[in-house]
Amino acid sequence: MKFVLLWSDALFFLLLAACLGGIWWARRNPQLAAAWRDVGRSRVGVAGAAVLLCFVAIAFLDSLHYRERLPQAPGVAEAQAQFGIEVLSALDALLAKQKTQTEKTYSAPLATHLFAKESRSDGQGRDFPRLKFGGRHLGDAGDRDADVFKRVAGGAVGGLAAGLLLALVARRYLRPRADWFAWNALLWTLTLILIGSGILAALMPYYHVLGTDKVGQDVLYLTLKSVRTALLIGTLTTLSMLPAALLLGIVAGYRGGWIDDAIQYLYTVLNSIPGVLLIAASILMMQVVIDTHPEWFSTAAERADARLLSLCVIMGVTSWTGLCRLLRAETLKLRELEYVQAAQAFGVSGFSIMARHILPNVMHIVMISVVMDFSGLVLAEAVLSYVGIGVDPTTISFGTMINMARMELAREPMVWWSLVAAFCFMFVLVLAANLFADVVRDAFDPRGRAS
Amino acid sequence: MSNLLSVRNLSVQIGAGRPVDDVSFEIKPGETFALLGESGCGKSMTALAVMRLLPPAARLIGGKVEYAAADGAARQLMALTEAEMRRMRGGGIGMIFQEPGTSLNPVMSIGRQIEEVLDLHLGLRGEPARRRARELLDAVGIPDAGRCLDEYPFQLSGGMKQRAMIAMTLAGEPELLIADEPTTALDVTIQSQVLDRLKQLQRERNMGMLLITHDLGVVERMADHVGVMYAGQLVEVAPREQFFSSPAHPYSKKLFAALPERAGRGQRLSTIPGRVPPLDTQHVGCRFAPRCSEAFADCAAIAPGWHAQPAGQQVRCHLYDPARMDMRQAENTAPPATAAHETPPPASPLLEVRDLKVHFPIRKGLLQRTVGHVPAVDGISFSLQAGRTLALVGESGCGKTTAGKAILQLVQPTAGSVQLGGVELTGLAGSELQPLRAQAQMVFQDPFASLNPRMRIGAIIAEGMRALGQREGVPERIAELLEQVGLRADMATRYPHEFSGGQRQRIAIARALAVSPKLLICDEPTSALDVSVQAQIVNLLHDLQQTLGLAYLFITHNMAVVDYLADDVAVMYKGRIVEMGNAEQVLGHPQHAYTQTLLAAAFTRMRGAA
Amino acid sequence: MLTYLIRRFLYAIPILVGVNLITFGLFFVVNTPDDMARMQLGAKRVTPEAIAKWKAERGYDKPLLWNAEAQGLAKATDTIFVDKSLSMFVFDFGTSEDGRDIMTEIRTRMGPSLAIAVPVFILGLWAAVTFALLLVFFRGTYLDFAGVVLCVAMMSISSLFYIIGGQWLVSKVWHLVPISGLGAGLDAARFLILPVIISVVGGLGGAARWYRTIFLEECNRDYVRTARAKGLSELAVLFRHVLKNAMIPILTGVVVLIPSLFLGSLLIESFFGIPGLGSYTIDAIGAQDFAVVRAMVFIGSVLYIVGLWLTDISYTLVDPRIRLS
Repeated sequence: MKFVLLWSDALFFLLLAACLGGIWWARRNPQLAAAWRDVGRSRVGVAGAAVLLCFVAIAFLDSLHYRERLPQAPGVAEAQAQFGIEVLSALDALLAKQKTQTEKTYSAPLATHLFAKESRSDGQGRDFPRLKFGGRHLGDAGDRDADVFKRVAGGAVGGLAAGLLLALVARRYLRPRADWFAWNALLWTLTLILIGSGILAALMPYYHVLGTDKVGQDVLYLTLKSVRTALLIGTLTTLSMLPAALLLGIVAGYRGGWIDDAIQYLYTVLNSIPGVLLIAASILMMQVVIDTHPEWFSTAAERADARLLSLCVIMGVTSWTGLCRLLRAETLKLRELEYVQAAQAFGVSGFSIMARHILPNVMHIVMISVVMDFSGLVLAEAVLSYVGIGVDPTTISFGTMINMARMELAREPMVWWSLVAAFCFMFVLVLAANLFADVVRDAFDPRGRAS
Repeated sequence: MSNLLSVRNLSVQIGAGRPVDDVSFEIKPGETFALLGESGCGKSMTALAVMRLLPPAARLIGGKVEYAAADGAARQLMALTEAEMRRMRGGGIGMIFQEPGTSLNPVMSIGRQIEEVLDLHLGLRGEPARRRARELLDAVGIPDAGRCLDEYPFQLSGGMKQRAMIAMTLAGEPELLIADEPTTALDVTIQSQVLDRLKQLQRERNMGMLLITHDLGVVERMADHVGVMYAGQLVEVAPREQFFSSPAHPYSKKLFAALPERAGRGQRLSTIPGRVPPLDTQHVGCRFAPRCSEAFADCAAIAPGWHAQPAGQQVRCHLYDPARMDMRQAENTAPPATAAHETPPPASPLLEVRDLKVHFPIRKGLLQRTVGHVPAVDGISFSLQAGRTLALVGESGCGKTTAGKAILQLVQPTAGSVQLGGVELTGLAGSELQPLRAQAQMVFQDPFASLNPRMRIGAIIAEGMRALGQREGVPERIAELLEQVGLRADMATRYPHEFSGGQRQRIAIARALAVSPKLLICDEPTSALDVSVQAQIVNLLHDLQQTLGLAYLFITHNMAVVDYLADDVAVMYKGRIVEMGNAEQVLGHPQHAYTQTLLAAAFTRMRGAA
Repeated sequence: MLTYLIRRFLYAIPILVGVNLITFGLFFVVNTPDDMARMQLGAKRVTPEAIAKWKAERGYDKPLLWNAEAQGLAKATDTIFVDKSLSMFVFDFGTSEDGRDIMTEIRTRMGPSLAIAVPVFILGLWAAVTFALLLVFFRGTYLDFAGVVLCVAMMSISSLFYIIGGQWLVSKVWHLVPISGLGAGLDAARFLILPVIISVVGGLGGAARWYRTIFLEECNRDYVRTARAKGLSELAVLFRHVLKNAMIPILTGVVVLIPSLFLGSLLIESFFGIPGLGSYTIDAIGAQDFAVVRAMVFIGSVLYIVGLWLTDISYTLVDPRIRLS
């Protein structure tokens, strides 16, 4: 086995580390701690954060990439081990069954037979063939509904039990330490998630819980793999342009004069190109670059990863202008404040003033804009992928799932499950992010606090 | 005569706190009742409760308000339906707010805003309404009322806006006027004009008035009866003459004593220690007890009741309880020792300003060419000796703050010379200015904007020292400075939001002192503070001057503070110094007409306050 | 004020030049015409001759900025930059891959785009403002809370879901309106009603919630308290005082979009088979038709800049502080 660190993995881990660092920093600073405590007090905020954390956990597992070692070919030296061309992740390993046990084509959720009729092997007319893997343990005569019910009940009870155990532990040991925290909201959310995953865990080994797609891939597996793409696009996009937005916004606001004019000109120009078209043009051009330089990428995964990152950067270029403008406006206000003038009276250099007096006092805007942009970007990815200017077609994402499923809408009866699965997961993710973002904004926005 | 308005046991709750607690008073037609108190004591909340316009978070939890109109109908305001109450608002009871700048709708013309009231309460529309609106604007003393009708608030000056606001309030022909700090946001000279006009209109229309203010001068000029509020309660109610001749409650006495006066030159101001208690304090005993110099055992334990004094004066204080007279420990409340105000011998000037000009360009036209200049500071000259105080006096917009900043080169002067200790400052590059920055520092107006909320107090004070290259002994120096300005050394690790306005101003002073300057430019350092806290800061500045030999350039519009602190006075008007000289001379025998107006406006407020 | 508007108008010129340079850089410098040709022709059949032919057919065979072989003035004018980039300033976009004149195509497709975008814009603004005012009128009650939750939920649903779900339910299950296409004359209404409703509903949540915060912010201003102290009813306060002030920030976000209505809606048009500029753009992106994408980028920027200018004008109409100073 050989670990593979894709660029996006590195950035994702860096982001996680930055979050941990941020938590450590916030604990030391009473004002930040107070704002975060407000978030922790809010039931909606805590529930949203809990759901988001589950998604992050999935994405984390999906970011631990490796290539499998191929069986040693005879006569090859031990040192020259051969590795598979496919880049796998820890999530793939966990869901090995879902990944490998593909059917021939569409099958409905929890089905035991294919969705389309085929000529029978004995040549006697057409029939729904039996699935290769889904419900195989039932044999031919098994009662599927009873089996499913039994497993669902078992999974639910298991999940509930785990949830209750967690609640007991939390009430006993954690609540006394921080009684302001909305423990109940956290525990309710976690219990619901545990019940859901309990049911899934009970069914997954035996059925395709959410059916299979055109080429027989398990839809649940695809949905879980999409989570990482969505999270990466939602976070890396804003972060990729954050340094530029911060630097230009603050410098424009603080320095003023021709520097301000130049920076304003730059972002008005970028802003005036319709976002979709700029993304389309840039992605088409990026595709040309990637296609003409196949030697840069050793695996297909790396190529897809490059396209994903370039998408993030390009979307960042189209969206950083808003943040830059906000930062500039805030800096203009801060520049006139007396503590900045006091520092000027001491002859503190412009750079130090920007770093020590302006930057810490605009960070709440950055914070709010990162969380507020997240959900919009997740939704945008789906649309862009649908238009064909999103992620690489081989990257599994909500957008590519919807794009593929859309073709089959006209089919009678309809193939609805992959669409519904993608939409539902996206809805839960975006809703959680929206609710969390609202709470964060209320806690950090000084205007919201006054009223 | 029967009461126009009688308020009985009014209480308002916000969260756990009671900003208005058991307040009772009455107002007769044609009479003015003044609610006096520092910010946060519940005056405005009382007025809003009477109007039933409390903010959503506040809840009325008890009390009755009876309003008896001239037509003889008495109404319980708290029992009216919302629709009935709306007819009272603007009709029976009119209200004037503090900030004329924000209290008028910015996108509606003045005429329309007045006509709205006429339509609503008198049914006047169209041409008659317009005529009436014009008459009203005439009545409040707006010149060219016809044009003003079509103007928008932003086109009027602060004083004119407040007049328009008064006209709008009068449009509904109210019998009771509630005026919430009607002149606080205005310049002194404008203040007295607006107050005069208000008083005249009140007399003409025989209106009752509930006047809310923190300014003893305004009370003295306007009120018939005075109610002093502290921490949500009325603590003293008295007729004006009685109140000004012998204030009864220790808090009232302290308010008088904390005013810097003409008589008290060079003397320490009497201060009230501590601060107004926060809203959610659970009170046992007298609310003022923790800050009261005459408090005794019972004060902290038992809430005092009302005690009637002669001449209709009432006071909520144990001192006036005949039963407790003997328990009171006789306390010597002699004023602190007087520090002799020595005038240091004249030396070569520390600061020499010659013909300083700051012009801001006006840009116009397609290419934004500079077509003219606004002369914010238009050629001022003065000099300041080491250890002396020069007060730069003037109203807002006269350029005094810009002048202060131009001296420190925070604003680029257009022309003129500034010499600090014999070195010319104008035209020096950033690095050349650096050594001179240690000699002159600034204390700003707004203590809430002058400290970076994200930095610890220690880091804030150390910033100047670091920037000017002092690296050694910084923590020790911070501790020393904090104690010098009356704070504790261990406060260095805290953040600004934990401190009150007065404490923050002390921190700002410590920051400026950190680099051992010889000159301190104080830009309205007390104007954002409550009266009792103002006195603390003025005393501190005075003491620091005595011990450190600092020179002050004191920028202010507060004549009383000038009178107390300044050796010399320069009066600024429209960017120029119109009069300058020895403080005694300028304040005692003002020569320039503007100085005379300024002083007349300021000191009518002080008269009788002694 | 007039000089202000003229100045803002002149400000558009350097911005358009900037846009033009960016598109030029993106389409001709980052990637050369050779790269485009290779991509268009597909990796397998690429011979130098094929590339040269492809370039010659489209006029990409000239030098980028300086034609050393030409004579006189043509040295500077007979280049890709002048042919393909500068020519856009006079709305000459050349032809698309299928040989049609792009400007003609744009002109014929504007109508259908406007037919759908204008109703969506007006209805959407009206619905969102009304909904937001309703929530503000009931602020602090459970109705307000439920409304906000509804808004957040609606915002969290992908626009693709509204389209796919709406099309499936209304057209396919209920058979109320045709699934796609566009009829002529009044018949067009039958085709347009569903896409319009879907767009309005899809945008309602986010817009209503945004307007609600603007209204609430205005409601906390001092002048609103003054209006109440005058004795005005809550409705009069909202409509006469709050709405007019709140229109100023709302205008900033909305007026700038008006010219872009010409571009139509990408998704709606392509899903409902409406022959507007939105579906034109999508098809061009799908077919990697660079000439069309470049033209649309330029047109989009022009319309956006016109939108900025209209915003300035509308400000002066609504805000006396700008009109009179």
